[in-house]
Amino acid sequence: MEPSRAAEPAEFLTGRRKFHLFGLTIDECIKVFFGGNAVVSVVVLALITIFLFKEGFGFFGLNQQSLRVYRQAGLEYVDIIRAQQDDHTALTRYLSDLRLRQFNYFTQQQHLAPAEANQRLAGFDEFADRFGGAVGPIRGLVSDLTETVTAIKDKFTNTENRKEERRQLLAEGRTADAAKVEITAVDFAAELKPLLATRPAYVEANAEFARQLSAVIASAPAMPIPDLQARMDRFKQLTGEYLAGFPAVEQKLKTWDYTRPVPWYQTVTSFILGRDWVTASFWQDWYGVIPLFIGSLMVSVVALFFAVPLGVGAAIYINQIATPLEQKLIKPAIEFISAFPSVVLGFFGVAVLGQALRALSQQPSLAWVPGFPFSERLNILTAGCLLALLAVPTIFTLAEDALNNVPRSFKEASFALGANRLQTIVKIIMPASLSGIISAVLLGLGRVIGETMVVLLCAGNRIAIPDFTAGLAVITQPVHTMTGIIAQEMGEVVRGSIHYRALFVVGLVLFFLSLLINYVAQRIVRRYRISIG
Amino acid sequence: MAALVNPHIFQTRPSAARRWERACFGLFGAATYLVLFCGAAVFLTIVAKGSRTIFKAEAPFINTTFFTDAPESLYVFEWQGKKLEMGDREHRAFIEQHPDAAKVKTESYIYAAGGIFPCIVGTVLLVVGSMTIALVLGVCAAVYLNEYARDGAFIRFVRLAILNLAGVPSIVFGLFGFGMFVIFFGWNVSLLSGWFTLAFMVLPVIITASEESLKAVPKGFREGSLALGATKWQTIRKNVLPYALPGILTSSILGIARVAGETAPIMFTAAYVVRDKLPWQVEKFSDFFFQGVMALPYHIYVVSSKIPQNEYTERVQYGTALVFLLIVAVIATASILLRNNLRNRYKW
Repeated sequence: MEPSRAAEPAEFLTGRRKFHLFGLTIDECIKVFFGGNAVVSVVVLALITIFLFKEGFGFFGLNQQSLRVYRQAGLEYVDIIRAQQDDHTALTRYLSDLRLRQFNYFTQQQHLAPAEANQRLAGFDEFADRFGGAVGPIRGLVSDLTETVTAIKDKFTNTENRKEERRQLLAEGRTADAAKVEITAVDFAAELKPLLATRPAYVEANAEFARQLSAVIASAPAMPIPDLQARMDRFKQLTGEYLAGFPAVEQKLKTWDYTRPVPWYQTVTSFILGRDWVTASFWQDWYGVIPLFIGSLMVSVVALFFAVPLGVGAAIYINQIATPLEQKLIKPAIEFISAFPSVVLGFFGVAVLGQALRALSQQPSLAWVPGFPFSERLNILTAGCLLALLAVPTIFTLAEDALNNVPRSFKEASFALGANRLQTIVKIIMPASLSGIISAVLLGLGRVIGETMVVLLCAGNRIAIPDFTAGLAVITQPVHTMTGIIAQEMGEVVRGSIHYRALFVVGLVLFFLSLLINYVAQRIVRRYRISIG
Repeated sequence: MAALVNPHIFQTRPSAARRWERACFGLFGAATYLVLFCGAAVFLTIVAKGSRTIFKAEAPFINTTFFTDAPESLYVFEWQGKKLEMGDREHRAFIEQHPDAAKVKTESYIYAAGGIFPCIVGTVLLVVGSMTIALVLGVCAAVYLNEYARDGAFIRFVRLAILNLAGVPSIVFGLFGFGMFVIFFGWNVSLLSGWFTLAFMVLPVIITASEESLKAVPKGFREGSLALGATKWQTIRKNVLPYALPGILTSSILGIARVAGETAPIMFTAAYVVRDKLPWQVEKFSDFFFQGVMALPYHIYVVSSKIPQNEYTERVQYGTALVFLLIVAVIATASILLRNNLRNRYKW
């Protein structure tokens, strides 16, 4: 046998030479192509993270600078005094509430004519006027100082704009023009001198203010009934506390120092813990996510409050109780509800549901419901009801799957032991599928919290933390949400501005929130799955 | 009465447990029907009020101008004792004829006249483009995951990514599309940006649906083909995909409903509030991809939030909502019916 023959491959093993591309056979190329498509999902997820970070991360630097200017230009100083003034305003509101209660007492309980009731209240009015007027000197001071510090801030903003202009000119290579741009650095120490010079005047005004308030309080009129008298005593007590806080304010102003650095973490905490979202204001912009987060949370809680019993109840009914015909008809119908576009539901809320709920709330027979009657057509309740309708199909479908996965033998064993159907459902099937049901509820929550159009159209869009002192009635107040604020303000902001970046950070919060909800849902399913063996 | 006195021995007697059972089942049933009732209430309200816009009493019974015209402002004024309502163009022609009409006190409502043709066109374009992208990416990814991939850390990672992608809120996709396509790639507000944003949003739905269909093809099909000497790709092409394709397509229809129904992702990436030109009225071909379009969901948002609610604006609001709801509903119903049909078709 010749050795060369043996080295050659047998003819039947390979008909023709294999085509190679980058060292891969065709089949391998195809595999790589398909694999590449599978990686897209990972890439997209990574890109989302990257781009949200890329656009949003600059926010923290800009916000820190904004906070620094807030301090250096003396805005912070003025806000300390302003807070004092605002507390006084809150007290006067308490007084006017007290007046209203007295007026109602006179007209409704004693059946006096309104004119007569007003006459009876003349003494009280004089008292309230004197109380309200006492703040005069402080108010004057604040408005003067406001002008001073706004001027300083404007000057600083101007300088920054000039710097930006020069930077642009330099970038375009126009050095000569750039040299012409005049930049005068703002000397904060010199600018703040007149502001700090008002300290003695403030101390004086404050002393006068305190003296007047004490005098007014001492001459408080007596109330007609003990209930109102108790409120008056409470008012006196509050005013006493307010007065006791004065030295602290003075101390704060005395130690206030514009050179104190703004720590780096403050830019993060002012976003995460900030209670104000104020934009495009002449004074100071605040980017605090708390009111938006609470808004989103409240709407979701209301939505789940309705959606969980309905969704899980419907799932149990369809899976365990309903006749085959019902099953066949109702399942697709509920799936059909899930196809309702959210913007149509939002429109329905604006056009129909808001009005209907308000009309319902004004029925005298329903006055016992907390928060009823309400006057705001668009509020947490309206948005929550519509979101519940969106969440029900999600919860229903997933919960029904979970119930379906419970082995038949569980049910049969329960029946064999003499349990009736209800006992079987409550004691056997529900606990066995609980992990699936909980994860269904969580995924429903994810759906609701990420929903945009319904809350944008129906939640009322008032950026404020709802007043929780109202108890359950809080659900009839309007709120703004994280998703809503992005949709509403993104179209109007300047690209690259602090506001624009703040919206991206809100998006980042939403993104990680949804990942967290997803993760927890998966964990629950995996951890508490009943092993069927 | 007789039955109570002398009951049959096997007749179930009313007991507390049974009453409880009855009551609880009643509650579960009530929950189910309440959900259905709410869904029906929303649907029927919009159908009832919207059908006044899209149908009319005389032949051809359908308000064709609502489907073929662009939105325009509505002018309402009194003229010689009669109340007249006119669209923008009609009103201008009227003023040319009767110059006095210009002086009459006229109320105008933006977008309240004309039709929604450009919005329908824009939505169709968005859906077609984004579904093409999503189907190509999604089906290929599913083929890889189901046919090629072996279980390992990488595949688990891919699956985790898909699962998480499905939970990301649509507005976050909008932000991402805005940051990446509109700004970073410089595509501005355009069809292309909208296509990719929507495609990525719907990708998890398509992948999951495709994988399920591929899984439904019996293993024997593949083994038989491989045993006859076919390569892997030949097996997939000839013996797996043809049987999985109907399932993939029907399940993907639900993805279409999702793409058509979403507003938030296209708000900053593809949708214009108003645009005079139709998408094909472009100077050069490439401009086609880089133009923004009007879209039905965004138009609904605009007409329900930016203009007041009254009898004149109501028509266009409900009309648009109904048309949109019907489009999405038809797509969704088709998908549900086809899927149920398909389940019974192949039995292996």
